[in-house]
Amino acid sequence: MKRTVIKRDGTEEPFRTQKIINAIFEIIEGLEVEDDYELVFLIMKELDLKVPERVSTEELDRLVLKAIEQLIPRHPVYDTLATRQLLKLINKRIDRRLDSFRDYLEKGFEQELLHERLKDFDFELLEQSLDFERDRLLGYFGLTTMNDRYLMKNRDGEVMEKPQWFFMRVAMGIGNSNEEIIKIYNKLSKLEYLHSTPTLFNSGTVTSQYSSCYVSVIDDSLDSIMDKARETAFLAKYAGGVGTDVSRIRATGSNIASLNAPSSGAIPFIKIFDTLVNSIQQGGRRRSSQVVSMQPWHLDIDGFLDLRETTGNAYFRTPSLNTSLWMPDEMMRRIDQGEPIYLFDPGECPELVDATGDDFKKNYARRIEQAEAGELEQFRQLDSQDFFKKYLFKLAKTGHPWLIFKDEHNRHNPCPEYSVINSSNLCTEISIPNRPDSTAVCTLASVNLSKHVKEDKSDIDWEKLVDTLETMTRGLDNILDKNFYPSEAARQNTMDLRPLGIGLMGFAEALIDLDIPYDSEEAVILARKLGAFMRKIAYRTSQELAEERGAFRHYREMEEQGEGYDYPPRRNAVLLAIAPTASISIITGTTSSIDSYFSNIYSRDTLSGKHIVINRQLIEDLEEKGKWSDGMADVIKAHNGSVQYIDELDGVIDKELYKTAYEIHPRRQIDIAAAFQESIDQAVSKSLYIDEHLREDMEEIYLYAWEKKLKSTYYCFIDKVVKGEKYTEKVNKRGSRKGFGGGGAASAANGDSSDTSEPAEAGTQAELEAKARQKFGDEVVDEALEADADSCPTDPMLRRICPACE
Amino acid sequence: MINKLIGRTSVRDNIKLSEDPSYPIFKELYEKQKKAIWFPEELNIQQDALDYHSLSEDEKDLFDTAVGYFCSSELLVQNVLVNSFFPLLTDPHAKMSFSTQLFMENIHSDFFEIVLQSFGMDREKMYDVAFDDPILRKKQSLIVDEIDKISYGQIDPETLEGQKQVLRAILLNNIILEGIFFYSSFAHFFALKDMAKMKNVVSGVELVLIDESLHLQNGIEAILIMLDENPEIVKDTEYVQDIRDVILEGTALEIEYVKHKFGDRTILGISYGELERYLKYITDRRLQELGFQQEFHITENPLRFLQKEDVKKLINFFEVSSTEYTNY
Repeated sequence: MKRTVIKRDGTEEPFRTQKIINAIFEIIEGLEVEDDYELVFLIMKELDLKVPERVSTEELDRLVLKAIEQLIPRHPVYDTLATRQLLKLINKRIDRRLDSFRDYLEKGFEQELLHERLKDFDFELLEQSLDFERDRLLGYFGLTTMNDRYLMKNRDGEVMEKPQWFFMRVAMGIGNSNEEIIKIYNKLSKLEYLHSTPTLFNSGTVTSQYSSCYVSVIDDSLDSIMDKARETAFLAKYAGGVGTDVSRIRATGSNIASLNAPSSGAIPFIKIFDTLVNSIQQGGRRRSSQVVSMQPWHLDIDGFLDLRETTGNAYFRTPSLNTSLWMPDEMMRRIDQGEPIYLFDPGECPELVDATGDDFKKNYARRIEQAEAGELEQFRQLDSQDFFKKYLFKLAKTGHPWLIFKDEHNRHNPCPEYSVINSSNLCTEISIPNRPDSTAVCTLASVNLSKHVKEDKSDIDWEKLVDTLETMTRGLDNILDKNFYPSEAARQNTMDLRPLGIGLMGFAEALIDLDIPYDSEEAVILARKLGAFMRKIAYRTSQELAEERGAFRHYREMEEQGEGYDYPPRRNAVLLAIAPTASISIITGTTSSIDSYFSNIYSRDTLSGKHIVINRQLIEDLEEKGKWSDGMADVIKAHNGSVQYIDELDGVIDKELYKTAYEIHPRRQIDIAAAFQESIDQAVSKSLYIDEHLREDMEEIYLYAWEKKLKSTYYCFIDKVVKGEKYTEKVNKRGSRKGFGGGGAASAANGDSSDTSEPAEAGTQAELEAKARQKFGDEVVDEALEADADSCPTDPMLRRICPACE
Repeated sequence: MINKLIGRTSVRDNIKLSEDPSYPIFKELYEKQKKAIWFPEELNIQQDALDYHSLSEDEKDLFDTAVGYFCSSELLVQNVLVNSFFPLLTDPHAKMSFSTQLFMENIHSDFFEIVLQSFGMDREKMYDVAFDDPILRKKQSLIVDEIDKISYGQIDPETLEGQKQVLRAILLNNIILEGIFFYSSFAHFFALKDMAKMKNVVSGVELVLIDESLHLQNGIEAILIMLDENPEIVKDTEYVQDIRDVILEGTALEIEYVKHKFGDRTILGISYGELERYLKYITDRRLQELGFQQEFHITENPLRFLQKEDVKKLINFFEVSSTEYTNY
């Protein structure tokens, strides 16, 4: 096949393999590889099939990238090569439009994309601080994600940031001085920590909205509901996830005094938010999202549990909302001990909403007495264990609602005088007091622990961690004053409490570096130590900040009233929150949050498409032992990414190190989260991975989470049982049966051996040809006769006369 | 001729389930299909509306045609099943397994109908595409014309000839249509997701794929059982050759179709060359599954991005509809 390349200026030239080979050698340069010729050969083989008859230079570049990308599951070296190729494409495109970092900044101001504030800084100094070598730290999935959504685009929708410019722009939106900017830039570009996605999107831009989450409270009035709908719309528009507590909204049948008519309850109102959230796209880069939270004693709880069901009355279903249960201890205790639970109407029993701990228990008991005495308008008694079973069934089936523990959140509230904590956020790591007039806001960043392991892999590099945590605390505190608050209630809460959320990712990756299996007591001990250390450093820094910049307003106000809190002044009411880090762990190329590796090979579905993720540490280990090969890759794939049952690896590697998410008992997953939670002042967002065979034990697992004093659980992943036919791997569906191969006489179908003998000759070549001409016409037959290996006919008869097929 | 999977039945027959079924595999396949049940409402399809409008002309054409093709084909599968061999199934578990397949085809039609509505596609054109497009029509005709010839009423299942005809109907429906034609279009959808486009629709197609691979297995099992029960069939060399030929004819038609669609250019980063090889690879698998020899001897799936369908999936559920929950 003759192939033509169409160049950018429209001229054409023949496709030359050598030119591409040279280009591939160029990106390999400097890489330590055993056999660069073999690499190039494999890539060219992939590419050959891809290149069509006519191809533009741009498309050709993309196809080279695709060809390399396809090889990623074979070896991490292809990941590196794909990253380099993509980087080359990004840089090429930008260099065509922009001369330098300075030029980018100027265009950014011209097009009113960058914030005027950035003009205060020393561009020359900052430009000199850029280190493009650090591009090499990025992996392919990370760079693809950045390129797709994080790098800033100009008004024509073209990417205008190189990765290092991007890190610098983010730093410029956070630091208060040139020195601080450079410090933050260095940390970010070395991937030692990252800010949350909204900060990376908006820092330093005209949309200075840095926060990830908002948590609001709806009061029991139409006014409040519509107010919060409006607030939610604006919060969602600017890339924040919104958590909303609906426990105060009166239940179905509750009396509305002004109309003297019964209410239709909370569920139809929740539907408003479903529609709202669906209508707001966050610039196409992130979907707006919301979680509604309800306390499980609410009379409408049955309807609440059904919100994410896919069948039934569409008016009572909210496919776009997430839901969570704000569960009091007293109800957990009743579930645990098999005592009945009671449901009430918050319109009639409003004190239950705010009451926590023993206070809740007392009030709940009082209401139960009244109910039994017939003194309440509305109530229901339920078998607590039936309720819990039903709830967990819904959780397993729809993934919702998540279970969050009201009292554990409130027990650690540093500002009870400000308000109770009414609910958590979408990702369940937030724990900030809030009220209808004060919407909690959280601004997050996460340490990449995998970049804080000593070079000799003997321990965590604690000193470096101190430096990172201090930089983060100061940076996050800066943000609060530069942040754009989409609502007054949100500004109010931040100014009163100045909450920060410092979290962690790469925990599992660091564990493997340290030779500690995730599924071990040692891992739990390290988790405990890390949590305490993070707390110590963050608090110390916040206290220093209080001296420099003053303590948070609510603290000072309480002090002025002579009712000060009994802890030393600090700048921020809360500082720590372990978020799921779904997106930023992809950018840094590490394991998310405090989770284990999901699997040693798996695919990940995100807004930026579907990517294969392989456990690089495992491959390096296997390679060192001389056990890594295409064959081994296939074996691991066939085991669904597990190495536990591959006998060949017994004694070769420490299999314990490479257990995948479903292979680690949820109890251990909970133990690790609980160890962190001991010191984290907000919450640890912990997804649970439950193997299908443990589905029966879900009650026990969730009771355990409560006993271990987790504040929050998050997504419940249950391994899907029924999978599709494997695409790239042969499965023997026939077993030993012979099927059409059982005839013996039929030579066209003799059995399942893989020998290559051709079907029986149906006559001489000439007879065949004549027969074929009769059937297909001359043109087709002539074409078949001239076919080369690239264009063999598929018809069995034609194949028999095709010279290449012979 | 008693105790065969395919035979003459009446409404009074086969209404008792047995704890010790004659064909345990159909009980198992029924269970698997039950666990795979999903509903289109689980997917947030209109989230893809922005994406849809940003597809290039070629991409849109590919997407539209694939959707149109499935819109009409899903119900076609039902027709074929009901009109040709369903009434002849003598085993209650087999009936349950195939009627679950029927139900799942409803879900798929429903799903593609919602897709069609969500993006304001021309419904008349969509439903007609499989018969208006000259090359697609050839594909549909291969199935429809043959089934017309052997539609129920004209078959005497008690004869060897009847058994052969039914087997051919199952082959056309569950192997060629669902196992080759559908698999070709699946690859087009997955290529979209690979380029980060139409992610929620494709999440639905991932579920369709799971279902179809179970239907394919229904077909393979039925055929293998029939061959076991009628050892005379494989002795009829001409018939066996015909079966092989019709599979390859299906493949040839599909290859003609992708050539016509992709021609001399790439769409979504894939080329005709890759798709041709892919179809040959899939065909080889189908042949082997039925006990035939391979035809093309292609050992590796050239569309390597499909590996992503083979491994465990982790979904950023707040970004893309999750397909990882079971309704049962």
